[in-house]
Amino acid sequence: MRLVEHGGLKIGVFNCDGTLYAIEDRCSHDDGPLAEGEFSAEACTVECPRHGSLFDLTTGRPKTLPAYSPVRTFPTAVVDDTIILEV
Amino acid sequence: MATPEAVAEKKELAGINANYEEKFGFHDPESGYAYKAPKGLSREVVESISEYKDEPQWMRDFRLKALEYFESRPTPNWGGNLGQIDFENIHYFVRASDKNSRDWSEVPDDIKNTFDRLGIPEAERKFLSGVGAQYESEVVYHQVNEKLEAQGVIFTDMDTALREHEDLVRQYWATVIPANDNKLAALNSAVWSGGSFVYVPAGVKVEMPLQAYFRINTENMGQFERTLIIAEEGSDVHYIEGCTAPVYSSDSLHSAVVEIVAKPSSRIRYTTVQNWSQNVFNLVTKRAIAEEKATMEWVDCNLGSKLTMKYPSIYLLGPEAHGEILSIAFAGEGQHQDAGGKIIHAAPRTSSSIFSKSISKDGGRSTYRGLLEVADGASESRSKVVCDALLLDEDSRSDTYPTIRIGENDADVGHEATVSKIGDEQIFYLQSHGLDEEEASKMIVNGFIEPVTKELPMEYAVELNRLIELQMEGSIG
Repeated sequence: MRLVEHGGLKIGVFNCDGTLYAIEDRCSHDDGPLAEGEFSAEACTVECPRHGSLFDLTTGRPKTLPAYSPVRTFPTAVVDDTIILEV
Repeated sequence: MATPEAVAEKKELAGINANYEEKFGFHDPESGYAYKAPKGLSREVVESISEYKDEPQWMRDFRLKALEYFESRPTPNWGGNLGQIDFENIHYFVRASDKNSRDWSEVPDDIKNTFDRLGIPEAERKFLSGVGAQYESEVVYHQVNEKLEAQGVIFTDMDTALREHEDLVRQYWATVIPANDNKLAALNSAVWSGGSFVYVPAGVKVEMPLQAYFRINTENMGQFERTLIIAEEGSDVHYIEGCTAPVYSSDSLHSAVVEIVAKPSSRIRYTTVQNWSQNVFNLVTKRAIAEEKATMEWVDCNLGSKLTMKYPSIYLLGPEAHGEILSIAFAGEGQHQDAGGKIIHAAPRTSSSIFSKSISKDGGRSTYRGLLEVADGASESRSKVVCDALLLDEDSRSDTYPTIRIGENDADVGHEATVSKIGDEQIFYLQSHGLDEEEASKMIVNGFIEPVTKELPMEYAVELNRLIELQMEGSIG
């Protein structure tokens, strides 16, 4: 996982078994720092460290409460060994 | 001329003269117990619970992770005084009997006698579709109507469900209340034992209620049941739970997690009559999901315990879902009932209501703590919150902490709150009709809670009125 910043926006970039996914580092429930949560590359999920909501990194949608709204996701691409995020 | 029913009820009510200690506060010997974990919480205790139950690895991992969450989270400093709880002075797992029976005659005598005294087998015969009886950490008796079983309804204890329906349990487990939701949910997730598992297939209507009864017997006991109810599309079920414990001078802890999933167009009602003895801390997390056009109802009656902190919640996730919370809290001497409810409108055209009634007497403290949220996108949602508090004397206290967040301009939300005292003129009026002061006071209290009791099955309404009358004994003069 790598945390990057762009214009005040924090984005966590996760490597799920070779595919990269980027989501905003802010839980839709209580603004928890998702990038600090437990990441499962196998399930491609991250668990918010604040109240335990589990997010699907491929869609940004929560798989468990207490969050019920998706977090923002960003398209990723790898060009000449550089990871590009479309914000 | 009074009807025979009214005469019978009056006779029943007139017969109430025992106190809690005699009626519910007794305890049985522990001589025949199969296992009692030493006091205190540790990785070893959590592992031994999982080992005793012969659980799959994923559940063992879930428990151990939850223990880390519990240890790393601070004790909440809001609500009641949780600093009084000594988490090291609690038995986290007590197995009273080696087996879970489907026949009352197979339940060990002491335990069977307890449930006989509490009227559980009689209730099962009379008006229930199924019953579960949990004694200490585990369920000792479970039975469900054969016709329901034939329709695919599953009603069993959670330990059995994990063994026999592992895939179904795992699919929903901790999706409504994750282990790290809060400190007490983390504790439950680490040491959970017992509780109910209910699965109602699509279109099945369970006509009579399912009931679970929870009993703590041991001193310094922690009971951590875990309940999961899933109602498939178009189904209908009513689940009732009751609980009591012996009166001890030192404290016990009850910390349950209840997760509910109401699929589209289903209806679930969950009724609680909580009557723990006044040495029990009752710290419970209850949460439900209501999908499109589903209806979820919590009927939550809190009479007992030293401190209750419980806010049943409903997430209205599908359009036109409906949620209702009816809450009664009765706080007597030395009691703090910190109760309420939360409803989150997360889809368009959802509707909800919260009705909270609290009664405080003899220095008791009752608190309404609630959240009503209309999220962005939940357009045309409607909600009404009504909190009424009745104070019976100058020493008692009532507080209201309502939080309302509205994210849509067209939401229709109402909030009403009242605090009242029993007025001399009301008492005088009733006395002029031949009632004595105590009877008049009881009648006013029963009238105050009537909107909730009328939602209970008749047997429970009578019981609730009886319990409140019991609590009211000697409160006048």
